[in-house]
Amino acid sequence: MPTLYCLHRAALYAAVFGIAAVSTARAEEIIIGAATAQTGGLAPYDQPALAGLRMAFDELNAKGGLAGKYTVKLVIKDTRSDTAQTATVAQELIDAGAKIMITPCDADPSISAGQLTQPLGIPTLTLCGSAPVLTAAVGDVMFGTYPADNVQATAVADFAISEGKKKVFLLTSPDSTYTANLPEYFGKVFEKKGGAIAGRGTYTMGQPDFSAEITNIKGLADQPDLIMTAAYEPDFPAFIQQLRGAGVTIPVYGADAIGTPTIKGLGKLVDGVVYTAAGYAEPGSKLEAFNAAFTKYAGHAPESTYEVNGYEIGLILDQAVKTAGSDDPKAVRDAIAGLKDFEGITGKITYAGTDRMPLRPVALMRYEGGEGKHIQTMIPDAADVPAP
Amino acid sequence: MIAQQIINAVSLGGVYALLALGLAIVFSIVGLINFAHGELMTLSGYALLAALVFGLPFPLAVLVAVSCGALAAVAMERVAFRPMRDASVTSLLLTSFAVSSLLKVVFQNGISARPQAVAMPGWMTGAFSFGDFTIGVGPSISIVVSALALIALELFLRRTVTGTAMRAAAEDFNVVRLMGIPASRIIATAFLLSGLLAGLAAMLWVAQRASVDPLMGFTPVLKAFIAAVVGGLGSLPGAVAGGFLLGIIEVLLQATLPAAVAPYRDAIVLSGVIAVLLVRPQGLIPAVRVQRS
Repeated sequence: MPTLYCLHRAALYAAVFGIAAVSTARAEEIIIGAATAQTGGLAPYDQPALAGLRMAFDELNAKGGLAGKYTVKLVIKDTRSDTAQTATVAQELIDAGAKIMITPCDADPSISAGQLTQPLGIPTLTLCGSAPVLTAAVGDVMFGTYPADNVQATAVADFAISEGKKKVFLLTSPDSTYTANLPEYFGKVFEKKGGAIAGRGTYTMGQPDFSAEITNIKGLADQPDLIMTAAYEPDFPAFIQQLRGAGVTIPVYGADAIGTPTIKGLGKLVDGVVYTAAGYAEPGSKLEAFNAAFTKYAGHAPESTYEVNGYEIGLILDQAVKTAGSDDPKAVRDAIAGLKDFEGITGKITYAGTDRMPLRPVALMRYEGGEGKHIQTMIPDAADVPAP
Repeated sequence: MIAQQIINAVSLGGVYALLALGLAIVFSIVGLINFAHGELMTLSGYALLAALVFGLPFPLAVLVAVSCGALAAVAMERVAFRPMRDASVTSLLLTSFAVSSLLKVVFQNGISARPQAVAMPGWMTGAFSFGDFTIGVGPSISIVVSALALIALELFLRRTVTGTAMRAAAEDFNVVRLMGIPASRIIATAFLLSGLLAGLAAMLWVAQRASVDPLMGFTPVLKAFIAAVVGGLGSLPGAVAGGFLLGIIEVLLQATLPAAVAPYRDAIVLSGVIAVLLVRPQGLIPAVRVQRS
């Protein structure tokens, strides 16, 4: 009996110390779940953003992790650009112990993941989802990181007005929040500042043929002097190819989703197209230094500003854990929500006082001769930004 | 403006007709709806891009791309479908889905998930005036190429021995084999033709879209399937009729629907398809011998 008792006790001690040993190891590690698209239509946006985020975590881990003590274990799962699959993957990540969730570059899958993280209080950040309705649709754990659609649209509208544009044609697609709402935000600001909406058209994402819509534009009695759309790949190249092919030379403006190598690769076809970015690498700027560091890290230059945006998410989380003093999800959430004038790479980022869509600068860019040229960087007047 | 919309409709309908024909040719012989047909287009698109990157002149690049589509179709038959020769129609269908998914992943992981821009020559985005309306060069090429391809195919099927054998095989394959014509050659030719049509359709598709991406085959194969079903599965004239009908309906709806109803465009088109099938369950121009399905 005593021998057996001893054995039992030994086993018990071993178990207790074993658990203790495991839990101390765990205490130093924070699991961050990334439910992001490795395949499908969102992959070209999620992958660059995720590359930036990984770079941030690698650098932070080399210095001990978030706030210098929580080593980040990034668990990545593929959503296949599918909203339902995003929810499945998010649940798997939660089960794996994720304390922070990263979601794809689009409102709809981000909301589906947010439905799961909200009841558990897990802070959730979308990589570059920019629909301002996104945070309110989920609740207080959901954060945008990229300049919101209504902010971007205001910046583009301000610029169009300053150029003397008077009449705009809005091309929208009801298939996603981004493509449906961004041009309408533009329209609101444009009208408020004296412009007029000359007409509206819609398309289906993945639609092969824009000729009917383009013929409608050509047939407008009141010809617009600008076409505003949030169409992106592969719809944007198709639209502009067919528009120019039909002999229409009206300028086309868009937003962040067309600031990509694919669109740039269209060369002369996209001359004069205005788009937005999260920042512009002026000589000597932090962004220029980041671009150099990223090139060294990834072996290729950043494709867009999604990389730096992903990197800044890492910095935001680091700062939030520092402020919170722990990796408690609730405390981290509160810390992110309270960020004010946080020095990112592209400029100052503020969450305090917002609906969890950050206030941050928007860079206006224009394609000229196959290159993205910087026009100006601005933070639109908050009073001008239309409500989501 | 109505004339303009008719040109748009014919141009889109022509591309759909080429696609539907590609599906129908294979279906008429082997009873397989090849859902990997779209990936043949994707492959041709990437081949065009590669040829242009390597500095081939544009016409040569197009030739290379179309041949790639045709060869890939033959290879696909040899690797994936020939071992399944005696399998059920369902197994063949599932095999075609498997090939399609596999190729998509290969494109995504092997090339890039991001669409690649294809710089079309400047003259293709031009337009010329004709009377009081302008016709784009792109749609015109689309119409001419579709028409030529349809005529060439018709001549091939009517005037050559292989063509005649193929038409006969579509009616009764066993009798054709009894006449001493090798089944493998007929089937391989069917795939070759379907690959050629996919390659041509891909060129027209890419010319209109200015980019290629790993998933670009999905929409066209879906449209082709709808067109082939409306026209009458396995019937070649039916596929052409179905393709043009689909293109015309799509463009007319896009042109005339008020903005509030426009998002329901695809639903309306598909309802129209159901209506056609209710009236003519075998399609507009049924095949001579209806295949098992």
